[in-house]
Amino acid sequence: MRRDKIVPVLLILPFLLVTTLVLIAIINILVQSLGYMPVFNLYDVTLRYYAETLRRPEVLQSIGVSLRVSIISSLAAAVCGTVICAALIKTGRTKGGMLYTVRLPILVPHTVVAVFTVALLSQTGLFARLAYALGIIVDYTEFPGILYGTGYAGVIIAYVWKESPFIAYFTIALMASVSSTLGEAAENLGASPLKSFINITLPLSLPAIARGLLIVFIFSFGGYELPMLLGATLPKALPVYTYIEFIKPEFKLRPYAMAMNGVTLLISLAMAVIYAIAMNRLLKKLGGDYEK
Amino acid sequence: MRNSRILSFILILTAIIIILPALVILLWTVTGRWPWPGLLPESYTLRTVEELLFGSSGLWKILKSSVILATAVAVLGTVIALMTARATEIYRIRGRKLISSASILPLIVPGTVFAMGIQVTLIRIHLNDTITGVIIVHLVAALPYCITIMMDMTAAVGSSLEEQAAVLGAKPLRGFLDVTLPQLLPGILSSASMAYIISYSQYFTTLMAGGGKVKTLALVMFPYIQSGDRALASIYAAVFVGSALIVFFVFEAIIHRIVRS
Amino acid sequence: MNKKIIALLLAVMMVFGLAACGSKGAEEPAGTDLASASWDEIVEQAKGTDVAFYGWGGDENRNNWLNGTVADYLKENYDINFEYIGMDINDILAKLTSEKEAGEETGSIDMIWINGENFYTAKENGLLYGPFTSQLPNMEAYIDGDDPETLNDFCKPIDGYEAPYAKAQMVMYNDSAVTPETPKNADEFLEYAKANKGKVTYPALPDFTGSAFVRNLIYEKCGWEQFQTMEADKATVKEAIEPALEYLRELNPYLWNEGKTFPADSTALDQMFQDGEVVMDMSYGPFTVASGIADGTLPETCQTFVFDNGTIGNTNYMAIAFDAPNKAGAMVAINAIISGDIQLTQYAELRELPVVDQDKLSDDEKAAFDAVDLGKGVLTQADLLTHRLPEMPADLVPVIEEIWAEEVVGK
Repeated sequence: MRRDKIVPVLLILPFLLVTTLVLIAIINILVQSLGYMPVFNLYDVTLRYYAETLRRPEVLQSIGVSLRVSIISSLAAAVCGTVICAALIKTGRTKGGMLYTVRLPILVPHTVVAVFTVALLSQTGLFARLAYALGIIVDYTEFPGILYGTGYAGVIIAYVWKESPFIAYFTIALMASVSSTLGEAAENLGASPLKSFINITLPLSLPAIARGLLIVFIFSFGGYELPMLLGATLPKALPVYTYIEFIKPEFKLRPYAMAMNGVTLLISLAMAVIYAIAMNRLLKKLGGDYEK
Repeated sequence: MRNSRILSFILILTAIIIILPALVILLWTVTGRWPWPGLLPESYTLRTVEELLFGSSGLWKILKSSVILATAVAVLGTVIALMTARATEIYRIRGRKLISSASILPLIVPGTVFAMGIQVTLIRIHLNDTITGVIIVHLVAALPYCITIMMDMTAAVGSSLEEQAAVLGAKPLRGFLDVTLPQLLPGILSSASMAYIISYSQYFTTLMAGGGKVKTLALVMFPYIQSGDRALASIYAAVFVGSALIVFFVFEAIIHRIVRS
Repeated sequence: MNKKIIALLLAVMMVFGLAACGSKGAEEPAGTDLASASWDEIVEQAKGTDVAFYGWGGDENRNNWLNGTVADYLKENYDINFEYIGMDINDILAKLTSEKEAGEETGSIDMIWINGENFYTAKENGLLYGPFTSQLPNMEAYIDGDDPETLNDFCKPIDGYEAPYAKAQMVMYNDSAVTPETPKNADEFLEYAKANKGKVTYPALPDFTGSAFVRNLIYEKCGWEQFQTMEADKATVKEAIEPALEYLRELNPYLWNEGKTFPADSTALDQMFQDGEVVMDMSYGPFTVASGIADGTLPETCQTFVFDNGTIGNTNYMAIAFDAPNKAGAMVAINAIISGDIQLTQYAELRELPVVDQDKLSDDEKAAFDAVDLGKGVLTQADLLTHRLPEMPADLVPVIEEIWAEEVVGK
């Protein structure tokens, strides 16, 4: 009996240590965002920095841009990723060359993604050159400006390229095991492959997909490189704006940057809470279905 | 029949979308100039290959240290994730939901800020500018992925077989090693690969925790990418991705060998 | 059980806290008397030590020069193991800030490549060691002590906290095979943009180069003298640069993407120029074109030009971190880098404007500098120096960047 209590605590210990470090980092940010930075002789604890930050129209626009980019990218990546994952499993390619190919984008750093996104999609990129060679356009200025626009299309495309395979890879272990047991059982009982996928495999794989989606959302919401390299001059994505604020050499402005980080943190946290609630409902609903 | 043709088409399309940029990057490694509207570069050069092999960067040393560091993170991250997953999924420790939510906390903190927040702590515990410090910070970045994967896997595999083994008189550890672990292997492979690649691509956290003293490939390559030398950036990118692929291949081979034996 | 977890967490935190409170052991007090030490003592103290120089690492030629030529020279002459570590200046300052916050006394950074606003704030916040330059023999032997750029960095007093490293100057360049004309002033630049509609632009501020280019246009429209003593007050600055803002807005419709967006940084602009998406590029390295032609990234028909009224020049400097583990070694290395020998190799291998005073060179040294072949498509050192304007005060720069974002982009 005692052993049963000690073992799990021991097992969880390293995780708690790491989590403590993270909490320390978060507390550091929050403390600084409240204006407490003894090293620069700032001692007053105040919500002023948040209030002033949130009153700036550029900040609100930045939040809007970042939310749009991350919502669209994460949803699109989840859909594409699930389709790729299902295709891999259903065609039996869960090993070997195809899986390696799909995994490739996960290995490519974001900065490199930006390099070839420009090489392919800019107005003088490979696609524009193809259009020119085929006589569709006569000058590169006619090619649509996918990058650098206020719609952030280039950033979204780059995220979907990089994160769809992540979702597929993140989901494949679970989906393959569900599909090979319950999915095939359903098929043996006469369900069509598509039906068995939609009714059995997909819902049971949802926890992994949703978690992947949340991760991609948070990542693309807080990511700096792609919106910096492929986004518009104004409005800037929130992390880009924060970073620019952060590197301003005037250290007295540091609390503003930290307040923006605080905002990023809170929005990400809110998304995580929404996710948790949605997951709870879903699991209850699935549980209910089983009982029936 | 029709379905599988659609699925194959999707996969082929995916492969093309993934491989086309890779080809562009490979071509860029030997490109001198590639002005509009040429479909192929105007001039080629071996400048970058020379720089890589004979420059002051010491490629082999850096590759070796990056691979060792990332492998350490992969192993540690997966072991910790496995332990955590056992505690929550098998032992059903109290506060499971809290733990599961807390595990994604590091994702919520922007990487740059986390690195800076944590740096002060590392200095205080005298782990700044050391490999240990870098490993700890990388672990933080990798654990959310590892824990998610291992929790899902552990829950899917369950403990019923292990319990049967226990009923048959096997010691708990033996039961786990002989019965459950082999079934967890695919998840372990995913988790280790994920942790590896997270560690392998960390730039800012390595910089802050390692203070420039701990050198990795990502650290050396990042300034070149930022400086806009596309040829040099591309060759580093190719080395980066290529070396990671080789390591994954080795991981898989090891796991397969374990499964067979 | 929940309580247990919380208790455990608290316990873990306390362990960390205790470790945090544990005072730093007695570090060896190297360099306590450094400020009063003689040069020979400093050189002796530096013998056999390691020196880590931190700075921007995106230029492979510079990295190779530092880790090759400079490192070899220091090893041979002073028995110092010199290493250059690539790190962005913002990250260096972030690291030093954290070290300061944590009360670190022995960090890992010895020397820093720095200038301008970064120097100003680093010095203000006690992130630098000094003053030390008056102890370096080569400051006297090779550097012009009365040069404003030796005394001030972006109009802010240096006070012996940094020594010059290399000179930079804003230049513009284009491909004479595409556009033979080279605009000589702001008005000609506007005409040039009109003639090449959509194919001219500059990097978005706060990019270093873009920011300097905009300041250069401000000088064209408003003169440069009034800014030297201006206070960094947003309303004052805005009023002073109003004619330039007017001009920049007039320029917008003829720019790439009609001035609604600008390339993210000078890197992006360089790539667009190399690809032929824009017809003109700019750089803070006056001999960039020669290097580009030599690597094959730029065509041989590229030409460098500056405005008739001149372009902004500044100096890069080397400073020592407040918690540098090896301050003596850093001083010896800095002293070596400002010597005629090393400045000559920097000029020859990297094509960087030297910081040495030409009048202080011996005839042989002078001849060696003159013999350097700078390569194609560039202006001579003399041409550059006669068209050189001083920088603005460091604290005006972020103010202008902010006004630009509000008043120029997309307007």
